Amino acid sequence: MSKGPEQDLRDARSGREAAFLKIFDDHHLPLYRFAWRLTGSAADAEDIVQECFLALLRPGCGFDPGRTSLRTYLFGAVRNQALNQLRRREQGIERESFDRRTPETETLRDEMAGAVAAAIAELPESQREVLLLAHYEQLSLAEIADITQLEVTAVKSRLQRARANLRETLAAYAPRTERTI
Amino acid sequence: MNDQELDQVLDSWEAPAPPRSLREGLRARFPRTERRGVARPLRWVLAVAAVSATLALGMEKTGASPWDFRIGQTLQGWYDAFMTGVELHHAAYNVEMVRNSDPKVYIDGKLAGTLEFKHATRMDVDVPGEGVYSLILVHGVKGFAESGTIHDNVIEFHAGSRQVRIECNQKIVHSERPVFVRVRP
Repeated sequence: MSKGPEQDLRDARSGREAAFLKIFDDHHLPLYRFAWRLTGSAADAEDIVQECFLALLRPGCGFDPGRTSLRTYLFGAVRNQALNQLRRREQGIERESFDRRTPETETLRDEMAGAVAAAIAELPESQREVLLLAHYEQLSLAEIADITQLEVTAVKSRLQRARANLRETLAAYAPRTERTI
Repeated sequence: MNDQELDQVLDSWEAPAPPRSLREGLRARFPRTERRGVARPLRWVLAVAAVSATLALGMEKTGASPWDFRIGQTLQGWYDAFMTGVELHHAAYNVEMVRNSDPKVYIDGKLAGTLEFKHATRMDVDVPGEGVYSLILVHGVKGFAESGTIHDNVIEFHAGSRQVRIECNQKIVHSERPVFVRVRP
C-alpha cells in the first residue's frame, strides 16, 4: 500500500533510496517535458530535473505539504531553475530561435512541430510558461497560479493572450476541416 | 483557427522521452549515509570483537578454558552439529558416486561378493564366510571402527583375515580418507 508522498519524502530524507526513486518515478515525466519545452535542450532539462529532485533532500528545502502539493512544488522548482537557465544563456550568448537552438529540435517530426516550437519560443516568457503548463501538462488554472505565484485571473489572461498569439502565428498550419456552406 | 484546431496544431510538438541517464544520474547523486555501505558490517565486526575481548578477559581472570563458559559450550555444540551435518552430506555424496560408478568387489584379489546400498551414507559388502560388512565414510559413529581407506576410485579394507577391494569406474575422492567398518556375522 502506498504510504503517500509526504511519508516517502521523509523516508527518502532518512536515506531510503527506494522511497526517493518512487517520488521520482511518480513525477519526473511531466517535469522533464516541461523543462525540455521551456529550455529547448535535453541536457538542460535533465540537469534541471535532477537538481529539483535532489533539492528535496536538502535541509533548506522549502516544500511545505500544508501549503502545496508535491507536484505543484516540483513544477515551481523546475520553472524557477529553467528560467534561471534561460537568463544565464541570454547573458552569455544571443538567444537563438528555438528550432535551431539544440540538436534535439532537428529531430522534430515535421515542419509543423518545428513551427509550433518556434512560435512558442517567441512568446513572452510569462505567456509561454502558462501555455506549457495549461496545454501540455493539463494543469488547472489554480495550480498554474500556485506555481507561477500569480492570481488565477492573471493566469487566465496570459493564457488567452498566448493562445491568441499562437493562433495568429500558426494560422498557416490550421487543419483542413470540412465545412458546410 | 478555432480552439480545437489550435490544440491539434500544438499537439504536433511532442516532447522526447527522458533519457535513461536521468534516473541513473539521480541514483548516483543520491546521498547515501554511511550505514548503507560500510557501517553495518563494521558494526558486526565490532560486536564480535567486543564479545571475544570480554571472553578473553573473563578467562584470564578466572583461569578457565573458553569451554568452561556456557556460551562457549553452546557455540561448540552448534559447531559440532554443523560439522557433522557437513560430513554426512559429503559422505552421502561419495556413496552416491560409488553407486553410480559400476563398483566391483574383489576379495583377496578375486572378483567376488556383492555391494548393496540400503542407506544414504552406508554400503554393505557380503564377504563369504565372514559376514556382512557395513562401510561408512564418517568418523565417530558408534560400532564402526577404522579399518581401511578410500583413495581415487578404490575402497580397501580388511574383513577378518581377508582383503576386500572395491573398484569404481570413476574417481570418488581427491585425497585418501579413512573408511569405517562394522561387521554383522
